[in-house]
This record gives sequence, structure tokens and C-alpha cells, in this order.
Amino acid sequence: MSFHRFLLRRAIMVLPLLIGVVFITFMLVRIGGLDPVGKLAGPTATQAEFDSIRENLGLDQPLWQQFAIYLGNVAQGDLGESWLSNRPVLTDIRERAIISLELLFWGVGIGALVGIPIGLRAAFRPNGRFDQVTRVLSLLGFSIPTYWLGLVMIFVFFYLLGWAPPAIGRMSLLVMTPEPITGSYLIDGLLTANWDAAWSAASHLVLPVICLAIVSAAPIIKQTRAIAIEVLASDTVRYAHACGLPEKTVRKLVLRNSAVPVLTFVGTEVTGLVGTMSLIEYVFAWGGLGQYGLNAIISGDFTAVQGYVLALALFSVVVFLVIDIVVHLIEPRSELS
Amino acid sequence: MTLLEVDDLHTHFISRDIDNRVRVAKALNGVSFSLEAGRILGIVGETGAGKSLTAQSVVGLLRPPAKIVGGSVRFEGRELTTMAPDALNRLRGHEIAMVVQNPRTSLDPLTRVGDQLVRLHQVHSDAAPAASRQRALEMMQAVGIPDPQSRARAWPHELSGGMAQRVLLAMALMNAPKLLIADEPTTGLDVTVQAQILDLLRDLVARFDMATTIITHDLGVVAHFCDDIAVMFAGSIVESGPVRDVFAHPAHPYTRNLIGATPERFRVGGARLLGGQPPDLYNLPDGCAFRARCGFATDLCRTPVPRTHVSADHVALCHFAGQLDAAPDAEAQA
Amino acid sequence: MSDATRTEIATDTQQGWSTRARNRFIGVFRLSPTAAIGLLIILFFAVLALFSSWIMPHDPVAAYTDRVLQPPSAEHWFGTDGNGMDVFSRVIYGAKFGFGIAIPAVLLSLVIGVPVGLIAGYRGGLLDEVLMRFFDGLRVFPSIILALAVVAATGQSLLNVILVLGFLDSPVFARVVRAEVLALRSSNFVESAVAAGNPTWRILFVHLLPNAIQGAMAQTAVRAAWAVRISATLAFLGVGIQAPTPEWGAMIRQGAEFMISGQWWVALYPGLALIFLVFGLNLLGDGFRDLMDPRHRSGS
Repeated sequence: MSFHRFLLRRAIMVLPLLIGVVFITFMLVRIGGLDPVGKLAGPTATQAEFDSIRENLGLDQPLWQQFAIYLGNVAQGDLGESWLSNRPVLTDIRERAIISLELLFWGVGIGALVGIPIGLRAAFRPNGRFDQVTRVLSLLGFSIPTYWLGLVMIFVFFYLLGWAPPAIGRMSLLVMTPEPITGSYLIDGLLTANWDAAWSAASHLVLPVICLAIVSAAPIIKQTRAIAIEVLASDTVRYAHACGLPEKTVRKLVLRNSAVPVLTFVGTEVTGLVGTMSLIEYVFAWGGLGQYGLNAIISGDFTAVQGYVLALALFSVVVFLVIDIVVHLIEPRSELS
Repeated sequence: MTLLEVDDLHTHFISRDIDNRVRVAKALNGVSFSLEAGRILGIVGETGAGKSLTAQSVVGLLRPPAKIVGGSVRFEGRELTTMAPDALNRLRGHEIAMVVQNPRTSLDPLTRVGDQLVRLHQVHSDAAPAASRQRALEMMQAVGIPDPQSRARAWPHELSGGMAQRVLLAMALMNAPKLLIADEPTTGLDVTVQAQILDLLRDLVARFDMATTIITHDLGVVAHFCDDIAVMFAGSIVESGPVRDVFAHPAHPYTRNLIGATPERFRVGGARLLGGQPPDLYNLPDGCAFRARCGFATDLCRTPVPRTHVSADHVALCHFAGQLDAAPDAEAQA
Repeated sequence: MSDATRTEIATDTQQGWSTRARNRFIGVFRLSPTAAIGLLIILFFAVLALFSSWIMPHDPVAAYTDRVLQPPSAEHWFGTDGNGMDVFSRVIYGAKFGFGIAIPAVLLSLVIGVPVGLIAGYRGGLLDEVLMRFFDGLRVFPSIILALAVVAATGQSLLNVILVLGFLDSPVFARVVRAEVLALRSSNFVESAVAAGNPTWRILFVHLLPNAIQGAMAQTAVRAAWAVRISATLAFLGVGIQAPTPEWGAMIRQGAEFMISGQWWVALYPGLALIFLVFGLNLLGDGFRDLMDPRHRSGS
């Protein structure tokens, strides 16, 4: 199948999923008890004021009509306006997505870089001492609430040791923000040779990235170990032993055969960590998409919640697409479908 | 000197259960056989009889909780059960080659067929890569793979089952082994392909002067392709000898049942051959393990079973070996 | 068998009762130390939850306004929070919420998920397809975001948190049971049950359920860990259970602002308690895997 046809087919396949996700979110926020009108109008508003706000927001129309209008707008790239920020939701999301992606990239990247070798080493000697220690540690990693870990790290590294900058935002307020190119302060600072900004951005990244890396490493260790153990028990490895291949060659073979499933897992992990990342953003006042989504949900900002959820769904679609393409490139058996 | 001499081999599975009791499954109970160059030995038996385990014990491929607890395996006089792992590793795939079942899943899915052949040769010899490549093509030719040049570039998943089994045979031949162990080499293949592979195997054994063991649950394979037969039941070889003698005068009731059974009845995956449960390896009875299923069993069968020579190289593990023809037939009785 | 040997065996089993119990624990411990340790941790918290009123030195919601934000001392082992409440007593009381949410939530998930999985797996076809697609759709949302949205939308009460967590987690059990049923559906014993004219409900609940439930049961501890964690996270975000209720997540929320001014004890201790209970449940869940390994199952 040609690459273009593959992309086209994939797009057609995910369309129902996206519409379904939008529909579920749309109904959920409206049927539920969220009431933006009351919040917008304030406690002293009259009934007439209520009604006029309701009319402005289009909430006086039947639900299906609201949904049809919303879908039509989304198709034209209009996600509506956030009632909190009074700005187009699309602009909000676009600005904040890159901020979150930067954190996610470093967090999961380091988590994978640390977690995969640990998982492999544990698998090569199952139930050995190393395996048992990492097993307990990774279970502990599963059990630590992210936000609490963030708070403890802030206490230790900011309050006690004074190594980390205060956990408000992505850069010191005293440093001039770099010329926006990508939206990431670190990259923009480096690109524009604004070393102060780059340094400040990097130092602000450290704690949240470590926090995310710890939390993401736990499942990566566990899954990598499980995958490698399965490969070690496979016919292929049994046969390699029967052929007298040296231990080093067999290990290389195990690594190569584990690569695809591990990669696929790390990919799904990226999408699964979005919730965790939101909490880290919340604790570190990061101002990315995750924090935006949490605030929108808690304060009942309909349009922002819908846009946020749509962005999440699109993100996971893109991630899975990228995984499929990468797997296709390294795995001779796979077909694009 | 005998090429392979297996003597009184005992392999157990040792584990602990949830109540912290040690549990021992006696999977091999005194297996003995020997093999000369140029001969083909067929090991038959139902699933769980210990055929594959015998092969794994011989070449040192046991995984915990399986463990050799007694006996010896001598290959050209060298003791294998106590050999260092890397020395054994140098032997495997080199002097002792194996052909396994599931050829398609056994090949490395991420390496081209030709490269796997070359890799195997490189690991066990000092040959130049070009020489290995040349030999790979020759061996693919020898096992009847058409157009080896282009097949060498194929991925394992692109091969049919029969073609993959030929590749495994080529792998086995790469380092000119002295002993070839084929564990269910034709399971899962079409009947016509099975015959082709077995014919090929027999030709190769003659051409390369290898000793060969074929492990199978298919008596037909033994009858047509082997010189000697060893019948296994519950971890013991209950009868062994030249194929012609054993088929003409089976001395053990189990062998008689096997031969008497119609092909359809023992083709069924080899499981539950001829009805009756396989004995519980955790709790083997004293005396003869077959007696619960045997039509000739008497109280004598509760006592240790003697190894009886029916003729010079035809041996059976039965109190009544050689006397069965006088007794009433088991099938008729049932 | 002679009478003599029979009496011998009888006394053997009588004597063996305590020995056997001990051996069973040693056996479990040897097979899976994680499961044994996890179980001990859970038991510890269960004792705290059940006997909290005897263990707590103070009323968990009594505000000593003259002792606000005091560091740990002999009187207040874990210090006092911003309202002057005793953190130690509050942490102990919080165990009640852990169990009080996790147990009913997991039971609800089982009650919903297991029948759905049974029917979807057995019937197959369009129903199965639609259900699985719906579950796939739900997976797009990170679980915390979904739980947050539903709780925020449907009302913030303890009961609601339990209901939402129970519903949201039921697909986990449905999937496990469905997979087992798919594997069992074409097996001999099910086909013979169908051929014998058993009604569908009988096949589902009498023939399939006992065989398919094991995979679901193995998941319960891990799902309980999830429920404890998510409910605390919701409280941390100020959704669901509200301060000053002595729930661990809500307590961490209260203590968050004091972390940057050095009063670490307000958020640290409830966090540690939360970690250990979730850790215990995860250990047990992980240990189930070893215990369910058929190689170790008692054959006699």
C-alpha cells in the first residue's frame, strides 16, 4: 500500500473516533451539573442577565442543534471561545501544547532511557537480586502520587537546599523572555543566543522533568522486563541456544526482538502520561495544556474542555500513527494497514 | 568408539508448591541408549513421555526447574553433563546440530535467512565471511531450496513451513555436525511435505555420515526412516532395538498397542495415545509404570522391572518380555 | 487400608492444622514475598481503619486554634495543620477513606464489568464490536481526566466518587473476562453444555463464569490501588471530597502551600500513608501473578 493511501485510510478510520470523543465530551459537560452561566453572571445577576448570557452562549437552543453547530465550527477550525480567558480556544491550545510537549518529551525520554536498560537487565536474570530490587522499586514508582512527589521535591530542592528555582512557571520573571520561535523557552533561548533565558528555562525544567521521568520509568521498567522475558522464552531464543550462539549474540538478538514491542509501549505510555503530566503542571504552575485542561474542567469552561479533549484525542492519534510508521520501518514483517 | 552414549539418565522437575512442600516430577527415569555414526534412531512415545526432554538433557538445554540428577551422557567419550556451559555451547550447532519443530517461529524474524546461516558458521569457525556465504549457498542447494541466491535474502516470515524446515536443515548442516537431533521435524507440515523432508533427511544422513536421532510421535516415520527404535513411556525407554525386530516381534505390551493401533488413532497430536491417562510423574507407581493400562499386568508388575534381552540388541523393560505371544492378546481381552 | 493406618492419618491431619497454616504462609512467602508483604501492609492499614477511634490521640477534625502549624512533637506526633488539627489523628482516620472508597468501587466494577465481559465474549457480533469500540474510545482519555470531568459534572460527593470510579474501571474487568470467554467458548466442555440444551444464562454463569473469573480476581488488588490513588488525586484537586475532611488527598492539598514555606509535615505524612497503602495493594496485585502460575498450584 502506498504511503498516501495509508494516511488517507487512517484518517478515515479515526474520524468516527474523533466525532465520538467530541460527542461524549459535549454531552457530558452539558448534561452534568457544570454551570458556566452562574459563574459568569456572578452572584448578584438578575434573571434577565442570566437569560442574555445563556442566549449569547447559544445555550438556549436544543442540544442536538448546539452539537451540530459545534461540529460545523470544528470542521472549519473554529473551536469557539474560552469563557474564562475570552480568547479563541484554538489559540490557547496552540500556545500551550508546545509547552506541555516539551515537558512530556524530556520526561518520557529520560524515563525510557533509564527504564529500558533496567528492565532488560532485570529480565536477563529473573528473580535475581537486581530483578527483585527493581521490581519493588518500580512498584513503588507506581504507587507514588505525582503531585506529592513534586511537592516534596520542591520542599527539598527549593526550600531546604536552594538548588532549584521557585516552582512558579517555566522561567524566572527577572530574565527577558526570548524571541518566540518554537514556543519553548529553552529552544528559543538557544536559537537566539539568549543564554540567560536558556539557562533559566533549563533550570526550571529540571524538577518537573525528574518528577515525570520517575513516574514514567516505573511502567517502562515493568513492561520492558515482561517483553524481554517473553522473548527469552520464545522459540527463536531457544533455537539460538540450540545452535550454540554465544551469550553475547543471543543478547543482541533479544534486544532486537524486544525493540518493537518496547517502542510501541513507550508510545502508548506517552499518551497515557498526559493525565500525570497535568498534575505535575498543576503543582509547578507550568501553564501548559495539562494545567489549562484541569482548570477548564474544574471551572466548567465548556468550550475549553471540548477543545482540550479534542486536542488529546488528536495527539494520541498522531502518536499511534508515528509508532506504526516507525515500526514499519524497522520490522520486516509489518504491513501498513 | 560409540559416538553418543547415554547411560541411566535421570532428569527431574523440582519445585515447591503453595504449601511449601517440595514436589518432584520424575520426568526421566534411567534413560539409556547409544548411537553410532551413520545410524538413525527414532524415539517414539506419547506427549509427556520424555522424548524432547531426553534431547534437551543430552545437549544441556534444560531450563529450571528441570535438572539432571543422575546418569551420564558421553559424546565421543567426553562427558556432557558436567561440561562447562561455554564448552557445551561450542559443541551445539557445531558437532551436535538440532532441528526443532516450529521452524518458522524458531528462525530469528529480524535477520535474513542467508545472514542467519552465515552467522551460525561464523560463530563456530574461523572462516572468512565470503567463505561462509559460499557455504550457506551450498547448503541451501543441498537441502533442495531452489534459487538459493534470492532465497538467502528472504525474511523467515516469507517462507512456507516446508521451506523453513529446509532452512533449519541447512542451518544444521552448516558446520558439518557429527550428530543431528531432529525433534518432531515434520510436525505441522503437510503430509506430502513431511515425506519430502524425511526423504531429504535420510539422504543427508547418508551423504554427510552423521548419526541422527529423530524424535516423533508418529510410528510411520520410524518405520520408514529409522534403523533403530526406542519407545518411551513415562520417562523410560520401555523397548529398544533394530526397527525390523521390534516391529516384527514387539516385546513390551505398550509397543504392541502402539503398533496394533490404527494410524488415525495415534496421529491425534500424540496426546492420549491409545486412551488411558499418562501416569502422574509426581507420583509414579512402584514397579512398572504402564501396569494400570496393561492387559497383561499381574502382581509381579508391582516389583522392580528387569531389563530383558529379547535378542542381542533388542531390549524390553517388562517382566514378560518375549513371553507375550503365549498370553491372550490385550485388545481381544478388552 | 487397616484401621491402624487410618487413625494414624487422622491424627496426622489434626496435628498438622497449625503446622499446615504456617507452611502455607511460608509457601506463599517463598513463592511471592511481594504478595506476603503486600498483605501485611494492607492488614496494617485495615487495623488502622477499623480501630481508628481507639488509636487516634485526638479528634481528627478538632481545631486547636492556639497550636496552628506546629512541627511534630510529643503531643502531636505528625504536627498540626493550618487549622490546628492533629495531623497524626487525621492520617489514621484517612485509612477509612482508602478502604471505604476502594472496596465498593472495585465491587461495583466487578458487578458491571464481569457480566458485560461474559455476554460480549459469548455473544460476539455487533454488540461485542460496539462495546469494545466504546471502551477503546474511553481509553483516549487519561483516567484521571475522565474521572475528574465526570465527578465535576455529576456532583461532588463521596458516593458519587465511588460510583464514578466503579463505572470507569469496569471495562478493565470486562476486557479480562471477555478474553477468557473467547478462549473458552469453543472448548469441549462449553460445547457439550450447549449440546445438552442448557439455557444461555446457565452456560454463562454456571459453566463460563467460574473459569473466567480468575483473571478478573487477579486484577482486583491492582484496581483497588488505582481507586485509592485516583480518589486521593481528585481530592487533591479539590474535587469530590473537600477539606477539612481528613482524607489523604485533601490533606496534601491543604499542605501544598506550606511546602514552600517549610511546614513539610502537613503534606508529607498523608502522602506517605497514601503511598504505603497503594504500594501494599500493588505488591499484592503483583504477587498474584506468581501465585496464579499453574506450575506452583497444588496438585494433590
